[in-house]
Amino acid sequence: MPAIEFRNVSKSFGDRQILKSISLTIDEGSIAVILGPSGTGKSVLIRCLIGLLKPDPGGQILVFGTDVAAIDERRRADRLKLYAVRKRFGMLFQDGALFDDMTVGENVAFPMRHHGGRMRESEIKARVADKLARVGLKDAVEKMPSELSGGMRKRAAFARAIAMEPDFVLCDEPSSGLDPVMAATLDELILEMHRELNIGFIVITHDTAEARLLGGRMGLLNKGELVVPFDATDKVLRSNHPAIRQFFDRQKDGPIQVV
Amino acid sequence: MNVLWCVFTGPRYWGELVRMMDVLARRCLIPVGLAVAPVGAVISLQGVEAFREFGAEGMLSPMLGTSVFRQYSPMLASVMVAAQAGSSISARIGTMKVRGQIDALAVMSVDPVRYVVVPGLIACIVVTPLLNVITTILGLASGWLFAVPIGGINHGIFMANLFAEITPMDLWVGLGKCMVFGGAVGIIAGYLGLRTTGGAEGVGRAANNTVVATILLITLADYALGLLLLALQI
Amino acid sequence: MFKRGWEALETLADFLQFVRRAARVQFLRVPPRAQFLEQAVQSGVGSMGLVTVLILFGAMGLTVQGFTSFQRVGGQSVLGAFVGIGGVRELYPVLTGVIVGARVGANFAASLANRQISEQVEALEVMGIDPFHYLVAPRLWALTLTLPLLCAYAIFVGLAASYFAAVHQLGMNSGNFLNQLSQFVGFSDLAAGVLKGVVFGWLVAVIACFFGYRSRKRDGAEGVGIATNKAIVISSVTCIVVNMFISAIMYT
Repeated sequence: MPAIEFRNVSKSFGDRQILKSISLTIDEGSIAVILGPSGTGKSVLIRCLIGLLKPDPGGQILVFGTDVAAIDERRRADRLKLYAVRKRFGMLFQDGALFDDMTVGENVAFPMRHHGGRMRESEIKARVADKLARVGLKDAVEKMPSELSGGMRKRAAFARAIAMEPDFVLCDEPSSGLDPVMAATLDELILEMHRELNIGFIVITHDTAEARLLGGRMGLLNKGELVVPFDATDKVLRSNHPAIRQFFDRQKDGPIQVV
Repeated sequence: MNVLWCVFTGPRYWGELVRMMDVLARRCLIPVGLAVAPVGAVISLQGVEAFREFGAEGMLSPMLGTSVFRQYSPMLASVMVAAQAGSSISARIGTMKVRGQIDALAVMSVDPVRYVVVPGLIACIVVTPLLNVITTILGLASGWLFAVPIGGINHGIFMANLFAEITPMDLWVGLGKCMVFGGAVGIIAGYLGLRTTGGAEGVGRAANNTVVATILLITLADYALGLLLLALQI
Repeated sequence: MFKRGWEALETLADFLQFVRRAARVQFLRVPPRAQFLEQAVQSGVGSMGLVTVLILFGAMGLTVQGFTSFQRVGGQSVLGAFVGIGGVRELYPVLTGVIVGARVGANFAASLANRQISEQVEALEVMGIDPFHYLVAPRLWALTLTLPLLCAYAIFVGLAASYFAAVHQLGMNSGNFLNQLSQFVGFSDLAAGVLKGVVFGWLVAVIACFFGYRSRKRDGAEGVGIATNKAIVISSVTCIVVNMFISAIMYT
């Protein structure tokens, strides 16, 4: 059974439909890339997955057996279910979303303090050091987010996202705003964590090079629809669908239109 | 000081000035009215009781009149202009600053002080007294409402005493104060707005500091002007 | 015009929903202690200096102005009553509410808006932490509990400043002034000031948090400015209007 399954998920804001009947499955511990031009609903998609947005009625989003789309946050039992789902996820936000009133170390320790239950302070410290070392920020524990460069901030946010050793990490445009070298470093980090800790990644991006590098499975989103079925990256890359060709060959004209 | 020089010399951006005044007047009218009207009501409310105790109900309307004309209306109108216009002017300039638009203006050889600060300043100086006229009327009307129909004071006495004691000078004092306070709002908002640093949070800080600084300055200036007027016996 | 009215109604509906959720979290769960303490110290102790200066001059201004008015109609002797009633019952609590709204309320709005824009609020939610509990509730408690104390403090500062202005600057008889003051101002007025502080504190905090929390990522830096501006304007108008209603109920 796949870990995550979207069944006919749509999402509208007012009369603007952002997602149109999306269906896809993601296996546990795999890498999934959602590719697409700006403003096609990629980030709406992952926000629906984690329950930050509620999709239109009719669709289902099964995450480890729980239908996230059916959750009513006003009900306590549902809220607990949602939190239980969320605990299996980490999220890397576009600009990091580090809490800027805390040091980097406190940021990474934050989820452990709140959900670690009986974790001892020494244990938390050790784990913070371990995660920061993995992203190459051993010496930044005491720094404030405002003292870091964009790339460092993103890596610190990455450390926070994997702090609770989640099953999946959602990455919202991991390479945006980074120079190519830093972007490649971050992609390498994703692959490393995938290999070493068996963490699954769901990455949304508009960077074709990044999508190629990460492999796994891929879908191209245009105007709220998957242009070809969500499938293994190699297969999608070989497709002759005009939208795929336009996007990967970097053409101005084609089915994907600039808004 | 540079700003003052710019106020009196060209080039001026009239379009920007007219637009600012229009926006300010519209945005401030409701908050200012809502702030001043209750004050007239409260003065009457408290005054009716107190003056009755001294058997001097006739004194209510002159006291209401002078304090609304000279004190509360100018002060509260300016405080609300500071809250509404001051914070939005400095937030706007601050946003332009953190987005690099101020630098963009300078690169296009448009003096940012002339283009964004001076129109705001002049607009504040012109609009605050205008608002004050409306709020003074509102303050008196709500004072009358609580004194006459609700407080049970005779309408004729209220009006006669009001007009006997209020002089044109009261109006001028109120309007003059408003121009001074309005100017303070414009200058502080422009200055703190241009000094904004530190992204989105900095914009919030600029808006916040503007309001706090202007309210303090208004209270201070009000006290100083009060003493001055007392000394001059105006 | 019609459209703007409709928007205002929508905002009001959003606000009521926000209040419901905020109040439930505020009163049914214990707020995180560290956050509460930090906010309380920042809003309480941090506002002391400002309130002192503001009330000092506000009170002296009130006294001088009152004197000028009375001089004309020949009733300098009632200055004590004027200061007592106008200041203690009305002006000092309102001024405190407005200035704290401008400083602390605006700060709440700006910091919540900034957290929304940089996705820090979503980050909390993803980690399974209720932002209302972690961010909103401590701020609500902090201001609800510190503003009454600031109001009480403002009343003392205001009385002292009025006394100074009346006796030392305007040359009034000290005994006379105090005598009148005590005739009109009592313990109940202090209690009323504190009560007003509680009401203003909660309202300012909830209004400020609402406008801050409502910002979205796409609003950018401008959104922070707008949230701050709305928080300041609406909370100060609310203080003044609500003050009228409280006074109308209590003193008639």
